[in-house]
Amino acid sequence: MPLAAEGAQVHLTAQTRIVAAVLAIAFMLLILDLIRRNRLQERYSVVWFVAGLGMLAGAAFPGLLELLADAMGVRDTNVALFSVVLLLLLGLALNFSVIVSRQAAQITRLAQERALEKARAQALEEEARQAGREPRSGKQPLEAEEERLEG
Amino acid sequence: MRTLVFIPAWNEEASVGAVIADVREKLPHADVLVVDDGSVDATAERAREAGALVASLPFNQGLGAALQTGYLHAYREGYDCCAHLDADGQHPAAEVARLLAEVEADRADLVIGSRYRDPAAAEARSDDYRPTLSRRIGTSVFRFFLTLATRQRFTDTTSGMRAANRRVMALFSENYSPDFAEIESLQLAVREGLRVEEVPVRMLERAGGSSFLTPLRSAFFIFKGVVVLLVGQFRPRQAGAQR
Repeated sequence: MPLAAEGAQVHLTAQTRIVAAVLAIAFMLLILDLIRRNRLQERYSVVWFVAGLGMLAGAAFPGLLELLADAMGVRDTNVALFSVVLLLLLGLALNFSVIVSRQAAQITRLAQERALEKARAQALEEEARQAGREPRSGKQPLEAEEERLEG
Repeated sequence: MRTLVFIPAWNEEASVGAVIADVREKLPHADVLVVDDGSVDATAERAREAGALVASLPFNQGLGAALQTGYLHAYREGYDCCAHLDADGQHPAAEVARLLAEVEADRADLVIGSRYRDPAAAEARSDDYRPTLSRRIGTSVFRFFLTLATRQRFTDTTSGMRAANRRVMALFSENYSPDFAEIESLQLAVREGLRVEEVPVRMLERAGGSSFLTPLRSAFFIFKGVVVLLVGQFRPRQAGAQR
């Protein structure tokens, strides 16, 4: 088994496999680090920007891809291209999972805030009832709360 | 000393009323909040009838989110300590009062009611809690990994009967796993340097509803729990919760 592609044949080399393994490990480390930091993403735009730059570079300098194919130990440039695109898509998919996670947390907090607001309204209503003045409408406790906050 | 007792409830209309009545009788000075986790039955109505304040989540969010809602309320409303128990009638309020006494005496920040620690302390009764086989397996696995992770001995890692002070409220109202509430919260509290203590308690067989744990779900639950503990070991510590 040759260390890098030498002949005209396109076959999986040890170098390809090493590179793929290294990339896979790097990817897993990235995932773990994201989970660890509890801060899975910043902006969609950055990812898309980087992806776009990559595509631009690939289009402008086909030599880069050939270089990449060379570096990956692939004779066929298409294989290198497919690998890169696949990785980019994988990265984007992860990015979306991150966004979904964050939004799920936001939705949970929103639900909690809403539930506690309603509980507070119920408490105020009961307070008003105990004080002997039946609230005229369901809105009154909330208005009282607003006045209290403003005052 | 203001105390809040909160009860997470998901479709527990059959038992929630009796649980609230029990709490109000045994803990007359505590305020009672039921966190209705998107129930589709009459849980919220039963709870209001029984005299509890009800916070209804608009859709089911899972036990972790429900418990966090309770901690958040306790923290924001300035309660000195809080406790929570299950809505299915497994947890006698008299036992919750013992947990609260530990927190009020400032012997611990977070107190867990354990049904496994020293079972001889509570006299056996016919309605006592008897764990199923899958529950026992899960309990041993979690016990092993949690002990490994925290270097502190816990016997009842999934107990839903707990009492806590304001330090714990501050921590849990911001950092509480919505997916895996019980185990991760123990790990988190120990990592943040809080004093966590177990107190042996008596638990009963559930009064209504059925456990969500089938053997297959148990296996998945255990697997998820171990992964959560592993990731939790690598989480950065918070600065805010230091004593």
